[in-house]
Amino acid sequence: MGKINSSQLAAAAGVLLLAVWPLIFRNQVQFHQVLGMTCLYAILALAWNIYALSGAISLGHTAFFGLGAYASALLNHHYHWSPLCTMPLGALAAVVFAVFWSLGFRRLRGVYLGLASLAAVEIPKTIVDNWDQLTYGSMGIVGLDRLPTLTIGGVEMDFGLNVTAQYYLLLGIMLLALLLHWKCIRSRWGWTLRVIRENETAAAALGIDSNRERAKALMLSSYLAGIAGALYAHIMGLVEPALVFNLHLSVLPLVFSIFGGSTMVFGPVLGALILYPLEQLFLMPLFPMGHSALYGLVIILTIFFFPKGIAAWLPAPPKSV
Amino acid sequence: MKPNISLAGVWLRKIACLLALFILGTTLPLAAAEKIRLGEIDPLSGHLAKPGQEIHQGILYAVEEANARGGVAGRPVELISRDDQSKPEVAVNQAQDLIFRQKVTGLVGGYVDSLVGPISQQAARNRVPYVASASLQQSIAGNKNPYFFRVSRLEGVVEPLCRFLTQTLKTRRVAILHAATPGSSEFSDSVQAHLRQAGSEVVLEDKFRPGSPDFSVFLLKLPPARVEALISGGFYADNLILVRQLRERPLGLKAFIAPWGVAYQSFIDEVGPASEGLFGACAWDPGITRPGTEKASQAFVAGFRKKFRKEPNTTTMHGYTSARALLAAIEQVLQGAGQLTGEAVSRALAHLDLQLPMERLAFDAHGDPRYYQQVIVQIQKQRLVVVYPPERARGRVDFSLAAR
Amino acid sequence: MWVGTPVIFTGLSLGSFYALIALGFSLILGIARAFNLAHGEMILLSGYLAFVLWHYFQVPFVFILLICSLVLVWVTIPLNYLLRRLPEPYGLNTLIVTLGLALLLQNLFLAWFSADYRLMTPAWPMVNVPWLNFSFPLHQGVLIVLALLVTGAVHLLLQGTFLGKALRATIQDREAAQMAGINVQRLSLAAFGLGGLLIGLAGPLFAQNMYLYPAAGVEATMIAIVVTIFAGLGRIRNILLGGWLLGLTQSATIFALGSRWRELVSAVLLLLLLYFRPQGFSLKKEG
Repeated sequence: MGKINSSQLAAAAGVLLLAVWPLIFRNQVQFHQVLGMTCLYAILALAWNIYALSGAISLGHTAFFGLGAYASALLNHHYHWSPLCTMPLGALAAVVFAVFWSLGFRRLRGVYLGLASLAAVEIPKTIVDNWDQLTYGSMGIVGLDRLPTLTIGGVEMDFGLNVTAQYYLLLGIMLLALLLHWKCIRSRWGWTLRVIRENETAAAALGIDSNRERAKALMLSSYLAGIAGALYAHIMGLVEPALVFNLHLSVLPLVFSIFGGSTMVFGPVLGALILYPLEQLFLMPLFPMGHSALYGLVIILTIFFFPKGIAAWLPAPPKSV
Repeated sequence: MKPNISLAGVWLRKIACLLALFILGTTLPLAAAEKIRLGEIDPLSGHLAKPGQEIHQGILYAVEEANARGGVAGRPVELISRDDQSKPEVAVNQAQDLIFRQKVTGLVGGYVDSLVGPISQQAARNRVPYVASASLQQSIAGNKNPYFFRVSRLEGVVEPLCRFLTQTLKTRRVAILHAATPGSSEFSDSVQAHLRQAGSEVVLEDKFRPGSPDFSVFLLKLPPARVEALISGGFYADNLILVRQLRERPLGLKAFIAPWGVAYQSFIDEVGPASEGLFGACAWDPGITRPGTEKASQAFVAGFRKKFRKEPNTTTMHGYTSARALLAAIEQVLQGAGQLTGEAVSRALAHLDLQLPMERLAFDAHGDPRYYQQVIVQIQKQRLVVVYPPERARGRVDFSLAAR
Repeated sequence: MWVGTPVIFTGLSLGSFYALIALGFSLILGIARAFNLAHGEMILLSGYLAFVLWHYFQVPFVFILLICSLVLVWVTIPLNYLLRRLPEPYGLNTLIVTLGLALLLQNLFLAWFSADYRLMTPAWPMVNVPWLNFSFPLHQGVLIVLALLVTGAVHLLLQGTFLGKALRATIQDREAAQMAGINVQRLSLAAFGLGGLLIGLAGPLFAQNMYLYPAAGVEATMIAIVVTIFAGLGRIRNILLGGWLLGLTQSATIFALGSRWRELVSAVLLLLLLYFRPQGFSLKKEG
C-alpha cells in the first residue's frame, strides 16, 4: 500500500462525513431517520450487486428480504430470542431459498433468469400469506422486539427507539457490507466473477465452473439481503406479507446499483445516498402522488446515457482488477 | 364655545382610549395566546390515499370548528398534517419529526394498523397521546399503552353483524370471502369465532388478493354447500364485482352482507337497482346518526358540505371523532388550569365521556372505545335503512329483496 | 347443470382474455427482440383511457375499442425508436429500461387517477344455453369470440401476406432475414405498430373484466410472459392454446384449492416452463 490515491481519500472523507453530520444536525431527527433507512436500502443494494457481479440481474430480491424478515420475526415471536440472535439466524432462511433458486435456475441466463426471479417471488410470498398456523397469514406479526439497547464503551445506546443510535448502527452494518462488497470485487474471486460476467465460454475455457461460482455469489447476496429484511422487521416492529414481499423492494437495489455503478465498490452506496434522500426529502413534498417515478426515470436515463453508473465519473483508482 | 368643545373632546378622547383598551384587552390575549399544536399523520398518498384524505378532512374540519368557536380554552389550535405515503417507515419518520421538532401536544389520524402501530410505539416512548382514527386489530391495543387511544375497533363491527345473522336472519350456514389484508383476515377470524359460539356454521371460507377480478368459481361452490348467507370482507371494488356476479348467476342465498364498501350512497349509485336488498354495516352516515345527536350531525354535514363541497362519509366521521376527542381532552386539562403535558392529556382522554354523532365516546383501560357499535343497514328503495339493532332500527328487513 | 361447465367456461373466457393480452407482447418480442416489461402498464393506459371515455363521455363500447387501439399505436411506435438506441446486451437492457418505464407509468397513473379501483360496468345480458342447462354472461362469450377472431386475423396476416412472410422469417432467424434483404428495422416498426393495436384492444377488455389500479400492470405482464413462452415465438395458434391452458388451470385451482392460490398458478407455470425450456422460446439457443 503505497501512496493514498484520490479515490481512497474521497472514500475516507465520505465515511467521515456520514459519521459526523448527525452530531452537527442534532435536532433534525427526521433526517436521521431518512438516512438510517438509506443505509438499510444501501445494504440491500450491495447485496443485490454481489449477485449482479456474476452477470445475473435479479428482479426478485424481495424474496430474500421478506424471508429474512419473516424468519427473524418468527424466531423472535415464538421463542423470544433477542434480535441480535434472530437476525443472523433468520437470514439463513433466505439462503435456503437461494439454494432452490440455484438448482432450479441453473440453466437460465440473462433475461430469462430475470423473469424467473420475478416469478419466483410468488412462491415464498403465497406460502407465507397462506400458512396461517405458522405465520398468521395475511394478518402479519406485530409486537416484535425492537433492536436492543447496548452499552458500548460506557455509552448506552438505545438502538430500538433512539433514531440517531439506530442510524449509527445501520451505518456500521452498511460499512461492513461495503467491506464485503469491496472484497467481492477486489479479490481473486471477484476477478472470477468478472470473467463469468463478461464471457462464460472463456470462463469455462479457464476451468471456472460458472454455475458454482454464481451460486456462491447468490448465497452471499441472499444472506445479506436477508439481514436487511430482518433489520427492517425489528426496526418497524411488525411484518406483513405485502410489506416485505414487494416489487418496490426488488427494484430499488437495481436502480441504486445501476445508477451508482455496478462495477464500482461504492456504486450501490452512492446510488442509495443520492436517490433515496432525494426522493424522500425533496420530491415527496412536491409530488405527493407519484414521486417514486423518480426511480423509473433515473433507470431509463442511466441505461441510455451512462450505463456504467455515475461512479464511473469519479477518478478511477490506479490499479483496477 | 371653546371650553365645551374641548370638554367634549377630552371626553371623546377618554372614550376612545377606553374603547381601544377594551379592544386590545380582548384581542391581545388571543394573539399572544400560545397556539396548541396537534400533529396528524395520514396516508395522503400511496395506495391508501383515498381513505387517508377523507380522515384528514374530518380532522381538519374538527380543528377549524374549534377555532371558529374561539379555540380551545381561548387558545387557537394549529394542525400540522403529514403524509406517511402508506408506508410504516415514513409514518415513524413523521411521528419523530412531529414529536421532537414540532413539539406537538398530541397526535391524531392513521388508517391501517401497519401504520398506526409504529406511530403508537413512538407515542408511548415519548409520552405523547395518540388518538387513532381507524384501527381495527386486536393486537394493537393489546399491550398496555396509556398514550394510545382509538375511536373504532373490530368488535364494534363483528358483534352486531353476527348477532344480526343469528337472531334476525336466523342463518345457520354461512360462507365468508375475505381479502388478503390484515384487517380483513382478522375480521374473518373474529366472525368465525363469534358465529361458532352462537351455533352457526361457517361452511366455506376463502381468501383473495385485492385485485382479483373474478369470484364466479368461488360462488359456484356455495349452492352445493347449502350456504344461506355470504359475508364479504372485501372492499368497494370487490363488492362491486361480487354483486354483479351474483346477479348474473343467482345462488339462492338468503342474504349478502358486507361491512365495508356497501353502506355508501356512492355504492348504491354505482350498482343501481342490483343493490336492492344488500346488507352493510355503518358507523355513521348523513342520514344515520345516534339518537339525540341529530342536530350535531346535521350541523356537521352542512358545515362540511360548505367547506369541502362534498358529502362526508363514515371515514370522514372517524377522523372528526378522533380529533374531537383529543381537543376535548386538551380543553379539560386547560380548564382545570393544569399544565399541558402528555401525561395530563392522556389522563383526560382516559376519563373522557363525549356524546358524538358516531358514538358515545369513552375509552376503556386498553384505549379501546367502549361504546363503538356499528348498525346493520339494508339498501331499500336506493336508500340505506337501519334494520339492526332493534333500538336503532328505522325499518324492517325485506327478506324477499335480500335473496340472491 | 354439471358444475364443471361454468368452471370450464370461465377458464376458457379468462384464457381467451389472457391470449389477447399476450399477442402484442409476443409479436414485439419475436420481431424486435425487445422485452417489454411495461406491457401491462401500457394495457392499463389503454384501460384508463377506455374508462375515461366510458365514464365521462359515455362512448359506446365498440368505439372505445377502436379509439384505444389507435391511440396505443402512438405509444408503442415511439417506444420502438427509443429501444432501438440501446447498447448490447440488447435483451437485458430492454428489460431494464422497460422496467423503468413501467415504474414511471405506474406513478403517473397514481398521480392522475389515484389508487382507487376503477371498474367499467356496462350492463351485459345473460345468454342461455338450454341443452346444457347453463347460462353465461355475454361479455365472457364475447371474449372467447374476440380472441378467436383476432388470433385468426393475426395468423392469416402472418401466413397469407407478404408482410407476414417477412415477419415470420425475422422471427425465425433475424440475421438470416437481414441477409435475405429484409429491412428488419422497418419490420420492427410494423411489429410495434401491430403490437400497439393489440395492446390497445386489450385495454378496454381489461377495464371491463378486471379492475384498474396502478399496480395491476405487473400481473398482466407476467401473464403475457407465461403465455408467450409457452407458445413459442411466432406460433400464434399456440398463444390461444397457452392462454386457455392458463385460464383453465387457474379456474380449476380456484375450484379445487381456493382463491388464495390463484396468483401462484401463473408463477409456477412460468417457472416450470423455464426449467424445461431454459432458452426461453427462441428456436435456436441464445448465447
